[in-house]
Amino acid sequence: MATYTGLFDALGLRDWCDSEKKPSLLSLRSLKGEEAAWYEFPFPSLDNLHSACNAVPQTRDMTAGLEAGFLAVRPAMRTVLDPLTQPLSWALDSALVVFTATPWWALVPIICFLCYRVARSASVTLLVAVFMAFFLFTDHYTYAMQTLAIIFVCTLICVAVGVPIGILMSKSDTTQRVITPILDMLQTLPTFVYLIPLIFLFKITEPKLYGMAIILYAIVPVVRLTNLGIRLVDQSVIEAAHAYGLSSRQRLLGVEIPLALPNIMAGVNQTIMMSLAMVVIASLVSAPGLGTLVLDGINNLRLGVGFVAGFAIVLLAILLDRVSKSALDRINSAQAQLK
Amino acid sequence: MTETQQQGKSRRQPEADRNVKISVRNLYKIFGDQPEDMVELVKSGVSKSDLLEQYQHVLGLHDINIEMMDGEITVIMGLSGSGKSTLIRHLNRLIEPTTGEVILDGQDVLKLPEAELLEVRRKRMSMVFQKFALFPHRTVAENAALSLEVRGDDLAEQQAEAEYWLERLGLSGFEDSYPHQLSGGMQQRVGIARALCAHSEVMLLDEAFSALDPIIRSQMQDLLLELQRELHKTIVFITHDLDEALKLADHLVILKDGYVIQQGEPQEILLNPCDPYIEQFVSDINRARVLRVRSVMKPLQGDVHPDAITVDPDVNLEQVIESVSGDTSKHFVVVQDDQPIGLLSMHEIVVAMVPRKASLEILDA
Repeated sequence: MATYTGLFDALGLRDWCDSEKKPSLLSLRSLKGEEAAWYEFPFPSLDNLHSACNAVPQTRDMTAGLEAGFLAVRPAMRTVLDPLTQPLSWALDSALVVFTATPWWALVPIICFLCYRVARSASVTLLVAVFMAFFLFTDHYTYAMQTLAIIFVCTLICVAVGVPIGILMSKSDTTQRVITPILDMLQTLPTFVYLIPLIFLFKITEPKLYGMAIILYAIVPVVRLTNLGIRLVDQSVIEAAHAYGLSSRQRLLGVEIPLALPNIMAGVNQTIMMSLAMVVIASLVSAPGLGTLVLDGINNLRLGVGFVAGFAIVLLAILLDRVSKSALDRINSAQAQLK
Repeated sequence: MTETQQQGKSRRQPEADRNVKISVRNLYKIFGDQPEDMVELVKSGVSKSDLLEQYQHVLGLHDINIEMMDGEITVIMGLSGSGKSTLIRHLNRLIEPTTGEVILDGQDVLKLPEAELLEVRRKRMSMVFQKFALFPHRTVAENAALSLEVRGDDLAEQQAEAEYWLERLGLSGFEDSYPHQLSGGMQQRVGIARALCAHSEVMLLDEAFSALDPIIRSQMQDLLLELQRELHKTIVFITHDLDEALKLADHLVILKDGYVIQQGEPQEILLNPCDPYIEQFVSDINRARVLRVRSVMKPLQGDVHPDAITVDPDVNLEQVIESVSGDTSKHFVVVQDDQPIGLLSMHEIVVAMVPRKASLEILDA
């Protein structure tokens, strides 16, 4: 007899309890026919209450209910989200094509040139060239370019969406109060947990599945730092902008964003690094690139494959970090003089 | 003529030409959660400290009424916390009042819709700040041309205008520098150039010179007076420094704890302080340098002393004493436009220089 049987009897709920004849998931102990010892006084959890009264649902009923609920709203969510996120699939697909179909002798110089334009540093450009040579030499080039293509698209979208959200947050304390917990949640949610609802929402073969996972995970720092950067702009300068009749648009574009740029760029750097972290995990849901090699290494216990792919990811991370950092440093040193 | 004489003459306008440019009427500012509800309480006589203790509201400004004349310098003086910076920010509505009116040329600034308010700020009122508040990411010339850019003027015009005013303020050659590359005094001159570029009739200066060294500050005051002689703008100047206030003011307003405790012609306030607070203020200044002959002379009656020396009504007492090397037996006749208008003796000068009781009382206490 279960611990709480007496309780339900005393409350006169026996009839209600027995009205449900649901098959229950039996615990190991009840299968063995053991009774709980007196000192083990079990906590009135859903499962324990269920063993005394059938009408109380078990914990697995709760998770099953949650799943059923999610499945019920899924068609409606798909109708809205599918067309909305379709451009993401297109962008990812075309970026992957561009990055992999362009011959290496064209793409590598282009990448080196772009890195030079962004970083304005010969040593960083040289580093990029050496890393590219390593990818080519070890035949990891195509994988690395796929990863790079995904990061490129996702970072662009993160900035395009995250900066305006950050601006809205900086303009209104209410917006900030609403969005901050969402950002906290996105940042702390284990990365695998992200994937679960997305797998339900999108087809696993669709690029937007991993695209969404990466964007949701990586957008946080650019939003936070845009908000912070704009809030930190010297209030006396903002007051002067008001006093000279700048419209809110003129203030934003002419004063706030330029002065918040060091912080925004720091956010972009973080966003890039976080997309790289996520793109590896996203290989679980069919994201191409270096992550698939790591996954292959784990699944098939191919140590060498996983190891070299992991090393290539580190190189890619260093590359992206150095290029975006030196762009940030350039802006910082320009602004440091201004203070 | 000395510098001071010139200033005195050109700044004073005939009475008939004086028009009210900005009129502040019954202005109240209360900080807190329900400021509107507090206005009646304050009007019914609840004091600043009671308002804070019992109702958790801060009385910023209490029933401010000031008329600022066209082409004159109105100086608002008070110590920190007196509400002077709050008051000046009501004029261009950087701060919204709780109740009251700010009439600019017959138009209530506080009732203007957003678009017209922006127009007022762009074209009719410019402001100079204590901490300069230049845009750090723009060059000196771009800073100076700010108001023109905001209005959408032609780029070449912007540059020409900025260059003209920067040159007037002795900043030629710095057009392409950034503000951080300049000294404090130079940065504030950029701030003034920015205000002048706007061609606004009204200039608001919020403790514009307070952050500068004494010598630079004095130079900037002279510069402002020199520009004012030429431009005749309506200037509202905020300061906590009485010497500065007396040097610049055509109309002096003394603010304490959000109340206007005395306003009028500076000489008048100096000679007839109406409040112990002002007496205390006034006691510390060099009266000989501030008081002018016009304010202390006696009306013309009886015979003019045979050896009387001619003096101008707008020179200060220090200059008069200096001119006779401190000889206490001298008599003077005050002459303006070749007409004698008053008499003055060395004895009266000495009497005028004695501060009204305050100093001694303070010493005794």
